[in-house]
Amino acid sequence: MEDAQLVQDFLGGNHQAFNKLVGRWQDRIHHFAYRYFASSDDAAEITQKTFIKAYQKLDTLDDASKFGSWLYRIANNLCLDELKRVGRKRATSLEALKEAPQTDVSSSADGRLVRNEALVLLHKALLQIPNDQRMVVIMKEYEGLTFREIAEILDESENTVKSRLYYGLRTLKKTFDSWNINKEVFNYD
Amino acid sequence: MTKEEARILLMDYMYGELEADQAKELEQYISQHADLKQELEELTETRSMLQHLPVQSPQEQLVIMEPETREKTATSNWWERVRTALSPQAGFARTSFAIAGFVFLFVITGALTNMKVSIGDNGFSMTFGEQPPAQVGYTPSQVELIINQVQKENAQLVNQIVLAAQEQQEEQFQQTLATFAQYIDDQRATDLELMNYSLSSLEETTYNRFRQTDQVLGEIIQTVSTND
Repeated sequence: MEDAQLVQDFLGGNHQAFNKLVGRWQDRIHHFAYRYFASSDDAAEITQKTFIKAYQKLDTLDDASKFGSWLYRIANNLCLDELKRVGRKRATSLEALKEAPQTDVSSSADGRLVRNEALVLLHKALLQIPNDQRMVVIMKEYEGLTFREIAEILDESENTVKSRLYYGLRTLKKTFDSWNINKEVFNYD
Repeated sequence: MTKEEARILLMDYMYGELEADQAKELEQYISQHADLKQELEELTETRSMLQHLPVQSPQEQLVIMEPETREKTATSNWWERVRTALSPQAGFARTSFAIAGFVFLFVITGALTNMKVSIGDNGFSMTFGEQPPAQVGYTPSQVELIINQVQKENAQLVNQIVLAAQEQQEEQFQQTLATFAQYIDDQRATDLELMNYSLSSLEETTYNRFRQTDQVLGEIIQTVSTND
């Protein structure tokens, strides 16, 4: 059954239809928020708030076929609200991350340990790029949304979205280089 | 095509959102620009590294409970059940219900407190309880009488104030004179005492000098007699 049908069922009084939507989208919203904050607690909180807000405002959704984009828009706004709420605290933690950690593959005795460390640094690098670029990178790279969908969610032009993605990826590349992380690090299993 | 345009198209190209003919055109453009080719390779490598980013799934499945179900689980909260039963759920109906309730309360309160609302030349007025007696105007003769009476009272009051001020000034003048006289008397007594003391001292000094003179003369006479 399509999301649009479930939305219509819920608006028609079938409460369980909404729980089916929750079951269908919870993982994706949780992953989205987790990648944005790198925190399970924050991700769980954002996910919960997203579905509560969706439950309260679903009757305002104009096009039921765009439920997914609408849900991402709610989650995105909640992430931004959360950033504003604890901005100073997060800014401090991001500052701490800017101290470039060094990973030397050749001198490491245990390649698997290096790979695990690189995975942590990968997330730290993602946290360091500007918020608007990070949002686009996550939506495009992990959520697989089209540029048109991202532009609708963020209420921006497609070219702006592509530009943010370009600069986000370029910044990530520079950070990886400065931390001496390359794709070979991830080949250890 | 400029390089900036090519970079934008590069994003579509990397994520497979470019039409075949546009992709072919872009590939041809990239092949002529080594820096763009280098950028494409770096961006592709960055993307491949990002794919390794670990993720955590939620620990528990969210379930949104129906309002009725929540009611049943909160049977002890009788007020919540009463409120839910009495108040409408839709936003507009809730607002209308609230306005109607306010109007009803206003009417009942007005009836109980004998409230009267009136609009006159001086504006809007609302009174509770018994009405105050209507204000009666004065005739010109009454106004003149009142003015005369007020003027008379004012004159008497001014007269009393002036008299009181004169008495107070006179009393203060008398008090100042008495103080000054007392000061003169004290000063004269002090001067007399000083003069008396000075005369006594002069008299004693003179007496002592007479005695010294007599003593010296006696010694001289005795010396002369002895020599003779």
